Amino acid sequence: MQKAPFITSYLTEHTADDAFATLAGYRAHGGYEAARRALTQMSPEQVVELLKDAGLQGRGGAGFSTGMKWSFMPKDSDKPKYLVCNADESEPGSFKDRLLLERAPHQMLEGILIGAFATGADKTFVYVRGEYAHPANVLQRALDECYAAGIFGANCLGTDLRHDVVVTRGAGAYICGEETGLLESLEGKKGQPRKKPPFPAQFGAFGMPTTVNNVETFSHVPHVVAKGADWFRGFGTEKSPGTTIFGVSGHVKRPGLYELPLGTRLDEIVFEHAGGPPDGRKVKGVIPGGMSMPILPASQLDVPMANEFLRERKTMLGTGGVMVMHDATCMVRVGCIITYFFRDESCGQCTQCREGTGWLHKIMQRIERGAGSPADLDLLLDVASKMEGQTICAFADAAAWPVQGLLRHFREDFEEHVKQGKCPFPESFEL
Amino acid sequence: MPKITVDGASYEVAEGRTILQALDDQGVLMNGVDIPHYCWHPKLSIDGSCRLCQVEIEGIPKLQIACNTPVRDGMVIHTRNERVEKAREGVMELLLINHPLDCPICDKAGECKLQDYAFEYGVPHARTREPRRAGKKRVDLGPTIVFDQERCILCRRCVRFCREVPGTGELSVFSRGDQSVIETFPGEPLDNDYSMNVADICPVGALTTKDFRFKIRVWFLEDVPGICTGCAKGCNVHLGVANNRVYRYVPRRNDAVNGTWICDEGRLSYARIGADDRIAGHEVRQPDGRALPVSIDVALEEAAERLRGVIDRKGAGAVGILASPHATNEDLFVARRLLEALGSSQAGVAVRTGRSDALLIQPEKAANAEGCRRLGFGPAEALLERARGGAVAALLVLGHDALATQGPELLETLRGLDVVLLADSHRSELERVAQVVFATRVVAEKHGTLTNHAGRVQRVVPAVEPSFDAHAEGEIMWRLGRALGLPGFDGAWDLQAVSKALAETVPAFAGIDLASVPPDGVPRADR
Amino acid sequence: MVISDAVRSAIDAEIAKYPEKRGALLAALHLVQREHGWIAPETAKAIAEIFEIRAIEVMEVVTFYNMFLDRPQGRHQVRVCTNLPCSLRGARELVHTLEQHLGVEAGETTPDGRIHLGHEECLGACAWAPMMRIDDTYYENLDAEQAKKILDSLK
Repeated sequence: MQKAPFITSYLTEHTADDAFATLAGYRAHGGYEAARRALTQMSPEQVVELLKDAGLQGRGGAGFSTGMKWSFMPKDSDKPKYLVCNADESEPGSFKDRLLLERAPHQMLEGILIGAFATGADKTFVYVRGEYAHPANVLQRALDECYAAGIFGANCLGTDLRHDVVVTRGAGAYICGEETGLLESLEGKKGQPRKKPPFPAQFGAFGMPTTVNNVETFSHVPHVVAKGADWFRGFGTEKSPGTTIFGVSGHVKRPGLYELPLGTRLDEIVFEHAGGPPDGRKVKGVIPGGMSMPILPASQLDVPMANEFLRERKTMLGTGGVMVMHDATCMVRVGCIITYFFRDESCGQCTQCREGTGWLHKIMQRIERGAGSPADLDLLLDVASKMEGQTICAFADAAAWPVQGLLRHFREDFEEHVKQGKCPFPESFEL
Repeated sequence: MPKITVDGASYEVAEGRTILQALDDQGVLMNGVDIPHYCWHPKLSIDGSCRLCQVEIEGIPKLQIACNTPVRDGMVIHTRNERVEKAREGVMELLLINHPLDCPICDKAGECKLQDYAFEYGVPHARTREPRRAGKKRVDLGPTIVFDQERCILCRRCVRFCREVPGTGELSVFSRGDQSVIETFPGEPLDNDYSMNVADICPVGALTTKDFRFKIRVWFLEDVPGICTGCAKGCNVHLGVANNRVYRYVPRRNDAVNGTWICDEGRLSYARIGADDRIAGHEVRQPDGRALPVSIDVALEEAAERLRGVIDRKGAGAVGILASPHATNEDLFVARRLLEALGSSQAGVAVRTGRSDALLIQPEKAANAEGCRRLGFGPAEALLERARGGAVAALLVLGHDALATQGPELLETLRGLDVVLLADSHRSELERVAQVVFATRVVAEKHGTLTNHAGRVQRVVPAVEPSFDAHAEGEIMWRLGRALGLPGFDGAWDLQAVSKALAETVPAFAGIDLASVPPDGVPRADR
Repeated sequence: MVISDAVRSAIDAEIAKYPEKRGALLAALHLVQREHGWIAPETAKAIAEIFEIRAIEVMEVVTFYNMFLDRPQGRHQVRVCTNLPCSLRGARELVHTLEQHLGVEAGETTPDGRIHLGHEECLGACAWAPMMRIDDTYYENLDAEQAKKILDSLK
């Protein structure tokens, strides 16, 4: 993978430098000074207020206000409190957290330290997806350096704050990216999301009050503390401040990572930065935010990449994973891959999800084989609607939305399969 | 107390309960307020995964599952509108796309919640053209249960049951998504004292008991409320009856006694009712030792004559009763009356004891041991000691529990007596030492009450009729008293009158009228 | 002994990190699987003993996660990502090439027990597709010849 995004900003400014992953290298760029300032010159409430003022939103997919989330942690609880860093990056099309873990682990750890101070948490568990063995090792090395330097442990940065960080590895299950699935997994169980209530802020990891934030979210925090809310709001849109790291994949000339302000237009990302499709092909559709997010057709790429604009197009920013498909692509095959993924990764608890994901995949395959009927198109939509908004977690929604998106914008692809009794896209990628 | 409104009707419910729990507390769930559900069970932890119990709550945009949503004062709930019905339809359709639809050969048919709810809440036709998920059939899960993977809807009631009730945890869901499947660990079968309850709580035909499988279609069964007689717990059961035969026990919910469970041993004890070793008629022992089948009248005449001989020679105080903890309170009251009329104090009872646990299984292996004590029957040992010392010359023995507690020595003691009369339901060695044997009814064949270990008085009614002449112990003793011309023993046998007298004479039974004992019994903590 | 002393002490070190013992179960399974290649029932029992849980609770976890194996399947786990971004860039073709090269189908183990070839869902390397994971190592921007060479070098 690349050492730094093709376009960098504050998050990735130094990631090209191998030394940035070491404590010395990180400190050379002012590392842990923001944490020192927060711990010695600010109150926890001031940190939370600062984040609220900055408008930092979670970068894990849901986009919830980080300051708000931190304020939900009970103040006067005698129970231990935990932070969890969600490093279970598994959303197809997303690979930004891997960069932050491998190339800038201290930046994230500093964000965690500030978060620990702001929430009064005793311990942070960084849950790294099982396949990220290398990133987990890099992070563990960085953490060992921190302990040796007194950054974590009994007297963080020489203050009274006590905080420990544990790196924990998953073992291959997309659903562990869902915050309560993650908590179950962290407790050594199957990663099946918990029904709510109770909510993690009251009953989280090991039954204790818990706040879960994503790798990138924590990584923004030191910058906000160091440079202030106004500076942070200088990036992005009014409602979605800051930058994010877009991962561009699929049919483009320069696939890779791009750190850009939120609100950067999707067509700018796809064409100007990533170079558009190779071989003189045209874009057919783009998934803007990881596989759970509904696709947009070529005609709708003039949208700023921020939720307030993407929602109008019936899609969302998600994790910022931009997947580009050129004009030879069969959207039913795309549907087959998407529905297979969700079928494979459903935890199997809720009826609609366990059964619906499988059914969607079977119908999709049948249409691709040329054995579909006109009624199957509406059947897909009907099954998707039965899965939506009715389950323990949002996984079933995430499985339903992309199907709805494909049929919203590429219904002709489906109709042609039915009409011709075969796949009409001989040049499409292989299935 | 929070007040909630469900489909326009108001309920005052307990704080901290979820909607389903609150409605269950009120006794209206599926009994006035129909919120279908699969994974939720009143006696298991909340799972929240089947998603069938979704309801609309005013002020909350999404439908909510009633099993896990806590009640709040002023909550307004709708269970019957179009949105809710659509959601249920969706769940039912999705549950059925992979179901084998093999009702004609499924033993659960007739009491299957998938069948019932599909009819009630589902869509009438299948829209799936896809092949259904193939799974393992007839999986031997252990000594009592057979599992059909294809029928399973993964509600995980069985998994939670094993973890939470017996605490043995033999079952789990392996894999994930639509590959999820109920499994046992290799070499560790489903084998615990309560294993067969999983078949009751399985809402579909995935788990069935080896004992009941394919014996009879459930729609031929009449469910007669009764009490399990396997131990002193007095678990409430339904006796499944057809053709004058009991085919099974299933638990009958009584939160004050057994909740919704029964133990396997008790469940299988139904087989004693129609067993081959029933005493199928009254007998009089001939001088040559052979047993002569006789009518009840002849048997009573013979017994009375022998007792009169003893009374003449040694006085009425030499007549004793070794009572049975399987007899009803009413039977035992007649025994007590008989002794009083004779002026004898020679009474005792033998109660077989065995393994117990903290859940349901009681050490005393009889349904009415506590009733015996409350009616003044002390330990058999003292009575038998007096018999060996010559103070007892005639003994009326009810049941054969004493054989189990006293061993062969009992037979020796009885052989030393002038007269031994036996009233029993099943064959035993006691017949060889008795001069007269009366065939008695078992609990499933008679009216009466039983007092469980905690003092709860519970009623039984006949579920079946014996195919031979047999009578309740109380009736036999009543008629014996009449044959002996004892005071107070006149007129025909009248259980109602006996019950009334019991209620009037014995404080522990004050106010209990046989005909009006509620289905869940009457608690009587005092002795 | 089912679990070696070295692995046992590594498990104990993991256990010390969590407020409840069981938090270290996934870590323990990784450690044990590295030593044994898979989690056999008797291994699950030994792990269950350490964690004071039932063996079946270990197996339900093993069967839930992709990375844990409940049967032996080769010395090297080769997984080609075939999710959408990789498929758009030739991942399926790569799988077919490797199938032919190894003489097995995806989901199978080579007869010499050297390699288990399989598909995998997104591994977070979307821009450098096609890619594969071999045990704990990623190989990105693959072409068929490179990939074959890498497989040939596996012992």
